[in-house]
This record gives sequence, C-alpha cells and structure tokens, in this order.
Amino acid sequence: MAVPVVSAPSRAAPPPRERRSRLWAALAAPGIIWLAAFFIFPLYVVLCIVFGQVDPIFRTPVPVWNPLQWDPTQFTYVLTHIVGPHGVFGPAILRTFIFVLVASCVCLLIAFPVAYYVARLSGRRKGLLLALLIAPFWISYMMRMFAWVNLLQDDGLFNKVLRIGGLFDPRVNWLTGQPVVVILGLVYGYVPYMILPLYAGLDRLSQPMLEASRDLGADRISSFWRVTLPLCRPTIVAAVLLTCLPMLGDYFTSDMLSASPKTAMVGNLINDSVQSPGQTGQAGAFVMLVFLAALLPMLYYIRVTSRRDEVAA
Amino acid sequence: MPEPTTRRQFLARAAILAAAAPTLGSFIAACSKSGQPSSSAPPTLTIAAPDHPVKWDIPADNKPIADGLAPEKGATLQLYNYADYLSPDAVKSFEEKYNTKVQISTFNDTDEALTKIRGGNVDYDLYFPSYDQISKLVSGGLARPINHSYIPNIKNVWPSFTNPWYDQEWRFSAPNFIYTTGIGWRNDQVPENIGALPNPYDSLWDPKYKGKTAIIDDWHTAMAMVLLRAGKTDVNTSSDADLKLIGDQLNALVAATSPKVTITMYSDLPAGQIGLCQMWSGDIINSALSYMPEGVSPDVLRYWFPADGKGLVDNDLLIMLRSGKNPVLAHLFINHLLDPDVAQQNFAQTGYQPPQNSINPESLVSSGFIPPNLAAAVVKPEYFDAGYRLLELDPANDAAWHNVWRAFKAGGGA
Repeated sequence: MAVPVVSAPSRAAPPPRERRSRLWAALAAPGIIWLAAFFIFPLYVVLCIVFGQVDPIFRTPVPVWNPLQWDPTQFTYVLTHIVGPHGVFGPAILRTFIFVLVASCVCLLIAFPVAYYVARLSGRRKGLLLALLIAPFWISYMMRMFAWVNLLQDDGLFNKVLRIGGLFDPRVNWLTGQPVVVILGLVYGYVPYMILPLYAGLDRLSQPMLEASRDLGADRISSFWRVTLPLCRPTIVAAVLLTCLPMLGDYFTSDMLSASPKTAMVGNLINDSVQSPGQTGQAGAFVMLVFLAALLPMLYYIRVTSRRDEVAA
Repeated sequence: MPEPTTRRQFLARAAILAAAAPTLGSFIAACSKSGQPSSSAPPTLTIAAPDHPVKWDIPADNKPIADGLAPEKGATLQLYNYADYLSPDAVKSFEEKYNTKVQISTFNDTDEALTKIRGGNVDYDLYFPSYDQISKLVSGGLARPINHSYIPNIKNVWPSFTNPWYDQEWRFSAPNFIYTTGIGWRNDQVPENIGALPNPYDSLWDPKYKGKTAIIDDWHTAMAMVLLRAGKTDVNTSSDADLKLIGDQLNALVAATSPKVTITMYSDLPAGQIGLCQMWSGDIINSALSYMPEGVSPDVLRYWFPADGKGLVDNDLLIMLRSGKNPVLAHLFINHLLDPDVAQQNFAQTGYQPPQNSINPESLVSSGFIPPNLAAAVVKPEYFDAGYRLLELDPANDAAWHNVWRAFKAGGGA
C-alpha cells in the first residue's frame, strides 16, 4: 500500500488580517493608554533617575528628564561592581539566577503532572479540581510565607516531625540563611502561577493527535516525549516565563524566610538600595539589569509562538 | 495571528520613539512637582557633636507659630514613626483630650523616612528621628521651629534636654526616648554569661552560636559595634582603613555565625527564634514586659551594656515637620508625650525609657517595674558623659559607610 505523499506546508503568508474596524480600536484604546501610563512612563522615570543626579546634601535622587543630559555614573558604578576586585554585587546576581533556575525547574516538575492530570484525566471532577487550584490565589503571598515561618521555626511543626518522637535531634535553624529554604519558599509561592497556564495549554492539546501517535505504534513514553511535549512547548515556555520572571524580582521570600545576607537576591539589593540615600539610582540600575535579563526570554517566547503554526500544522 | 514586524516598520517606529523621547521628557517634567530648588554651590552640612554644640538659625520664612492659637478642628494629626514605638494608650488619650484623630504611618529605618519626607508629597506633622538627621532636616528647611509656650511639660524632662548640644535652646526638637545598644540573650539557649566575657561583642562571632544570632538592621548601629569590638571608639570615623576593617569583620561574621539582620529582635528573642543578638535596651525591656509567650518567664532574658557607660548611648527626638498641616496639634502632642503619666505609659508599652525627672533609674528595678535580670538595660544619666554617640556624617563619609553596609547586605563575601 502506498503511503500518501503529503507536500510540506508552504511558507505561505499568514491568513489575511481581520478587517479593521473602529470599534476594535476604540475597545483597545483604554488598555493601551493604561499600558503606556503605568508601564512606559514609570520605566522612563526609572531611566531618568538612573542617569540623573544626586542631591549633594540629602543624597536623594534628582531625576534628569532630558536624555541629552543623562549622566551614566551610577549605572557604570553598578556595572563595575559586579565582577572583579570590587565585585560586591556579582554573588547576589549569580545567586538569583541559580535560585530562580532551580525553583523554576522544581515548579515545572510539580506543576506539569498536576496540570496534566487536571486537564486530561480528571473527568467529572475537573471543575472542582480547578477551583481548588485557584484557591491559593485567595490568600496573599505574604500570608502564605508567614505560614512557612511558623512551620519552620525552631520549635515548629517541621522540626517536631523530624525528631520522630525523639529518635533524632536535628538542630537545624531553618530560618537563618538557608538557600534550600528560600528556594522551596519560592517554589511554594509561585507554583500556583505555573499550574494554571499549563492547565490552560494542556487543555487545548489536540486529542486526535495524541491518539494518532499511539495508533501508529509509539509506546506511552515515546508518545509523551515525541508528541505531547513538543506540542506543549509554547505552553511550557509561557508558564515558565510567567513564573520565573516575577521570581527574578522577588525579595520578600528571602526577607521572610531568611533575613540573612547569605541568601540576598537582586530583589533584596533593589529593596535595600532604593530608600538608601545616594543609592536610589543604583537600585534603578539593578532594575534595568533585571528588565534586560527578563526581556531576552520574552523575545525567545515570541519567536517560539510565532513558529507554533508550523509545528502544529 | 499578527504579521511579523518588517525591518522597515521597526526602523520607522524606532525613529518615531527617538523623536518623541525628549518631548516625553519635557511632558513628564511639566507634570512633576517643581519644588526642589537646585543650588549652584554645594552647601556644606553643619555637623553637631557633644564637643561642638550647634544652635540652629531660625530663618525668616520659617518662624514658629504664634502663641495661644486654638488646636485645628476636624483635623487628623499625622505621625511618622517606627512601628510599635509609641504607646497606643497615649495616642488614644490625646485623641480624647483634644477631640481629634491621630494617624500613624510607619517606616523601617530613618533613611527611608527622610527620602520620603524630602520627596515632598507627604504631610506628616511629627517625625521621630535621631539627632543624626537633625542637620539635614533643619538646613533643608524640613523642620518646623518650636514655640516653647505650647510645651510647658518640658520642665518634667532632664534639664540637659532644654539645651542639648545638637539643638541648643531646643529650637527644633524635643527628646523622645533614651537608650543604649548592647547585647541581649536568653540563658536557656545561651547559658554562658556573655557579660562576663573579656570582650562580650566577640560572642556574636563565636561559631558555637551559629544560626541563633542576629544583629540590628541599621547601618550605623551595626557597623559601630564592629568598631567597638575592635577597640576603636570613634564610631563616626571617616578613615578608609577603619571602614575596610568593618567590611572584613562583617564578612567574617556571616561566615562564622550567619546572623539574621533585623529590627524585630523584641519579638524574635522571646519567641526563641534567636538566642543572642545585638539589641537596644528598650527592646529587651519590651520583650520582658509584652512579648513573652505563655509559660516562658522573663527571667531567662539577659542584657549586657558596659557598666562604665563606654558603649553606644543615644536618644531620639520629636521633630515637627514643616509640611504638616496641624502645627498646633503637633505642639500639643509633644507636650502630651512629656507629661509624666503619659511618659510612664509610653515606657510600659514600648519598653523605651523617657528622660523624665519622675522616672528614677535607681528605683526602676526596686519598684518591680523592670525585672532584676535586666537591670543593665536601665539608662543612667552618667552614661551620657562616657558613652559614644552615633552622630550625623557628612555626605561623602555617609556614602562610604552606606557602601560598606550595602556590600555586606548583598552577601558579597559569602
């Protein structure tokens, strides 16, 4: 029997744009104005502070609004103090990347099975499980971290359990400068943000495609690895971005669960510098660095999704 | 699915943005508050010190309010203070007495507070700094001079405070609390008598207390302690060698005991989260009076401060801000806090000692107000002669100190 020959999809132009109507433009306008007002303007203000001056007596920042008068002193101060003999910020930046990477991976390992189960295998209980997944959002991030402070205190539940009724006596101070605790705190705080987008993406997976792979002889693992995962790739990238980008700026987890310089992240550098006299511009420089670091994965994501049509076709 | 941007479109949009940026800038500049006068020559800061007392000039455009004015009606007095640093009962009694409302906004440290006040968009009436900011507040035109006729209760306060070295003739400030900075510990976690060590500050660097220690999250207080440990007494030094020593010792501290850096030791120590920490005298008294958990006696708490007074001794202030809209009420509130009964209430509810004539340091322990195990936390007048003060630093030195502190907080050495 001849295998039907299917010609490769041509690199045709995308489908014609929708006919523009004034209605859609008008509906989009408030959102665009909001974005401009509360994202672009503040970003410009941050730039004006980073490249601005410092009051000589109070050492409060003096923003310089005209880009032609910008002074790069504060920005170069931060750049020159990352590595090298004065590299005081390097360890914190490196630590942030490591923490975020590890925490994102752990989040993914936890969130993917959960989302997969809820999206594809839960049947009638899907609605209930979905409601339970949204439940953490009802409680503020701060309260959820407080719960961990309580559990991890020296005489808290965690240590009590570890003692297993007196068999061991672990004298671990969980809340003082333990990177593992901060990473797990980040995972706990951000896992709900990962489960929902994964659920949304997995829900839309084409079931016939998956059945087809099984029909054509792939076993379960091979089917998962070679069909399901590639189809999920944009979803996974979106979910990871949605989780790890806010994590880059997180300072609260380290403050609450550690309060020690040993686990200071970039967010802590920003938080400590922004209200310190003379250091606000440098805090802005850290913000720019985090922004640039976050921009690159976003560009990658745009690229991945723009190619999605070719993969799915 | 939107079309991918072509190169021509990208260049066109970038050009539009570049052309618009300066106009965007001037638009924002027009919208921003024009308030801060730009000075041509950099003004110098007059730094007050015990051996260099300062009498601040009252400028012509910032005279005190007139005598005998009535309190503002229907107003809300705005206070700007640390959290848990003012007795709620004192506030309530003021509200009832003058039929007014009081609102307290809080800050974590005075750097943050000054930045906010200088930003100009706040209208706090009363601020609770220490004298390491008084020069900036007065020279920067942020402080309001006091009309003494509204504050007869100043007679209840130690006489030295009517003419302190940092504000002679008390033109801009009234005293709030007096305190020392020593070491607090609980002897159920730290059985050793820290006070009996040859150099008690060394205990914070002792690896056997790893994970149980904390230092105060205040750059000047923590760094000054490092200097005192090394035997140096100029806690406002501008020497590069000293600052480098502080930086190295702080890194050694993290490596040895991994301390928490916080200002909540008044609740963490009684809770058992930490066993040994640098501590303010008021905090340990506050712990004993208000924060001990059920079943834990305040007898476990201990405090050490050099008996000869050669440690960090300071007081903080009540300063009215010019941006406040209720100057009469602000004056009356200062007077209220200096009343002996209100001051005693303030002492009981915050743990910090007010410099009241009616509060005799000798009798605080014998009257049972302060447990005998915390006798060292009582602030005696003699300490002010021998002790070391955390003074204001000039801008360049201030920058150098803050850089060392930030490098420490960034975990750079770890």
